[in-house]
Amino acid sequence: MPKIIIDDRDIEVAPGTKVIEAAEQLGIMIPRFCYHPALGSVGACRVCAVKFLQGPFKGVQMSCMVDAQDDMVVSTTDEEAVAFRKSVIEWLMLHHPHDCPVCDAGGHCLLQDMTVSGGHGIRRYPGKKRTYHDQYLGPLIQHEMNRCIHCYRCSRFYQEFNGYRDLGAMQSANQTYFGRFEEGILESPFSGNLIDICPTGVYTDKPSRYFGRRWDYERSPSLCINCSLGCHTIASSRYRKVVRQEARLNEAINGHFICDRGRYGFSYNSLKQRPRTALFDGQTASIDEGLAVLKQRLQAIVDTDGSAAIACAGSSRNSLETLAMIKRVSQARSWQPPAYLIDDAITAKVKTAISVLDPDLAVEMREIESADFVAVLGADPLNEAPMLALALRQAQRKGATIAVFDPRPVCLPCEFTHLPADPDAIHTGFGAVINTALDAAVVDKLDAPAREFYSSLAAGEQTFTFQQTEIDTLAEKLKTCQRPVMVCGTEIVSRQTPALAADCAALLQAAGKAAGLFYVMPGTNAFAAGLLTDENVSVETLITAIEQGSVKALILVECNPLWQFPDRQRIEQALQKLELLAVTDYVNSEVVPKANIFLPTTTLYESGGIYINQEGRVQVVEPAYRGGIPIAETGNGDHPPRIYDSQIPGVEPQAAWQILAQLIDIGQQINANDLRTDIQHWLIKSESGFNQLPGLAQIPPLGTRFFQAPNSQKHFECQQPNGGSTDDGRLEVLVTERTFGTEELSAYSACLQELANAPCICMHSSDAQQLNLNDGDQVALELNGGVIEARLQVVENMAPAMLIIPRDGKLNWQQMETGQTRIRRDQIRKVE
Amino acid sequence: MLPDELREALEKQIAHVDHPRELVVDAMLALQDHYGYLSDEAVEQTAAMLGMSALEVEELSTFYTFIYREPVGKYVIHVCDSLICWMDGFESIKNYLCQKLDIEVGGTSADGLFTLLPVCCIGYCDRAPAMLINRKVYGPLTPGKIDQILEKLRSEA
Repeated sequence: MPKIIIDDRDIEVAPGTKVIEAAEQLGIMIPRFCYHPALGSVGACRVCAVKFLQGPFKGVQMSCMVDAQDDMVVSTTDEEAVAFRKSVIEWLMLHHPHDCPVCDAGGHCLLQDMTVSGGHGIRRYPGKKRTYHDQYLGPLIQHEMNRCIHCYRCSRFYQEFNGYRDLGAMQSANQTYFGRFEEGILESPFSGNLIDICPTGVYTDKPSRYFGRRWDYERSPSLCINCSLGCHTIASSRYRKVVRQEARLNEAINGHFICDRGRYGFSYNSLKQRPRTALFDGQTASIDEGLAVLKQRLQAIVDTDGSAAIACAGSSRNSLETLAMIKRVSQARSWQPPAYLIDDAITAKVKTAISVLDPDLAVEMREIESADFVAVLGADPLNEAPMLALALRQAQRKGATIAVFDPRPVCLPCEFTHLPADPDAIHTGFGAVINTALDAAVVDKLDAPAREFYSSLAAGEQTFTFQQTEIDTLAEKLKTCQRPVMVCGTEIVSRQTPALAADCAALLQAAGKAAGLFYVMPGTNAFAAGLLTDENVSVETLITAIEQGSVKALILVECNPLWQFPDRQRIEQALQKLELLAVTDYVNSEVVPKANIFLPTTTLYESGGIYINQEGRVQVVEPAYRGGIPIAETGNGDHPPRIYDSQIPGVEPQAAWQILAQLIDIGQQINANDLRTDIQHWLIKSESGFNQLPGLAQIPPLGTRFFQAPNSQKHFECQQPNGGSTDDGRLEVLVTERTFGTEELSAYSACLQELANAPCICMHSSDAQQLNLNDGDQVALELNGGVIEARLQVVENMAPAMLIIPRDGKLNWQQMETGQTRIRRDQIRKVE
Repeated sequence: MLPDELREALEKQIAHVDHPRELVVDAMLALQDHYGYLSDEAVEQTAAMLGMSALEVEELSTFYTFIYREPVGKYVIHVCDSLICWMDGFESIKNYLCQKLDIEVGGTSADGLFTLLPVCCIGYCDRAPAMLINRKVYGPLTPGKIDQILEKLRSEA
């Protein structure tokens, strides 16, 4: 380990550490523009110059380009280096417009900091400044090229790290321009990172433009709840409104970046139509009154039909406290076991995934970046968990093979092999790859269960349609790789796939490889929901119970089954049949107007909460601000608002778990913090899945992982899929996620609505040809519940005999029968 | 529209290389010869033929001095402003050209014949001050020689 002395202080660093990084470890911030830890060094901006006094280099050198080595003595304060940096910053500032007072980066601008720290204060350049035309880059980012100092961070991030090709550096020398070929919306769903990465104000956050300076904001570490990855963010709020989110560095999950869904998915929090008062039978009330009415009506139902006539459903966007409280109340009041996930299949898959994810197999998302072979089984990273796609790209850039076994037209910002397998063929296809990859000599040394599993991989009927050469090429790569990772989805896959992924990872591990396992789950807290839910309990089973008349009252806690359930007609009828529908939520979802009793809840930003991501990482989020109706709304544009009250307007909502606690009469006596601790104690004591849950105080800022499967005893039990589905000429229907437009909370963001393409139905070209349909045709699917109309997208890169429908709020797709997986060809017609 | 003949010739060339993008400069020059300059349409056509994005082609087309992204005159005068030519009187040569053609650097003469562009070294330091007109080099230049050259080109136009 090299030892280096910087400014008279010595430090030992890992081999390959640059001097600029070594200095940072000592707390010395050497100026930098082009250097960024995620992008590496290029030595272009010259502002990180330091003087090397002793060692293999001498004189002024760029600290981002030199590896720390033994015997190096470096001075950052040497006169020559200081003078050098001063000149560099002066020339970088030649054309800068000095428009800090009207620049949104002002106050958190690296260029401001570097100008001051570089010692440049007085402008000497008398010439005319170069100016540029700015471009429209979409609803998220404001372009302001005059401020540019040509550090190239944006184009390096955008093209190299992020893998998109529509923003870059044009022209040369003094005229260098960063932008697009033509004005237009940036194609990358990670474009918001340009705002974070730009050292000055060339790219600034458009939706929050001119809203405040960084120091005006309450900035709070927060968490993204727009998919299951749980990336770290910083929420900025001002005037009772969350206005901006930025990426927060997390070495285990998201690194320096987040996706645009996560960055802009927060608008639901401060919407005007957000319901903030309790309602019963259309009358506004206080929460206490609402609760009193709820209790009274629940009692009436208990009196006539018994307590089992009451059911409660949560969702994977509940905090752990809420999920737990739902179960606690349901048990204490002898209601039906609560439902959290939409149907049995999802519940089963999530539960399986949790049960087989053991500490030896599980990898963090950042570990995927150093994998050398990634098999993606039934997951569509860019659409289901966008940041995963970026992790895959980093792996691929380092030479990893990425193989995607998925029926959908998967798109990734990197090179990958796509084997468009239908859900059953994922097994046989990937099974064939592993089977071919392992040598007999290796297999012979395995334990009996592993050996049996290995031979079962080839045993199944070959239902896939890809070429043997593709299998062989992948097998060859898998054979030579050292660190393979299985990434597995839980939505469209068959019930056996999550176990298959784990078993394959375990098999590869047994065969001597450092194999890893990584699941993608349906929703932020799906892991916790899966742990708490009983087998065979889901929103679907509750609906059946309502239809059968055994459930008369339903309480929906931050749960909108209309968004996800495929049969709208059925669910609406079921809801009508109820004697009592109570809803608690923080968004004005479609079920809110249907509720007899509504109680408003607080968001993540107001109450915080505990969330467990798909790798079992428990993360605590603190509230970002106190809550209340945004001042812009109460003041009606006027500021300051002239409402005089001792209370902040609009803070009636309570955390769902606080409201629920009052149904078992523990809410009133204790304060929120004690109640949280109380919930945790209950969880650890009463729920076997949580007995390893660390106490609130023990959860570090990076989160901590806890596992159900204690080392591999549950492996090699995976079953072959039933197959079952014979080719009857019908098309298999897959309802899937899109990056924008299908995730419920982010769908409330106006800027993201602008980005979401009009939802399309996807079909393989062979099917389209057979049905006489063309790409771009408007098609109608005549289903039981009604007609779905959308534009048809005809593609080559998907499995044939399938129909892909996005779960998009604008599509009104919920016209299927429950459990419907197939559609006849004559149900599809062209709309003239 | 690109004539089929040209497109086919380029496609044939592209089919023979491992990485199509290595032919980007050749393709840009071929299209520029056809259109007279590299139009927006030509950038997009180049990109499509080579499997690149329009931006990636634009990054290169705007970097290279000899790719013209705007219409130019029949003769493009690249007057060298690099070190040796500059020492040998680039400034007065440039001024003379501007005055003679009644244009600024970057402009095209009213008759549409001449466009004047600076270039940073054309490798004819031994003939400084030098200029390049439609791939032919002239130098060492004097006002008299410039008159002759322009007159000759005008008469040939």
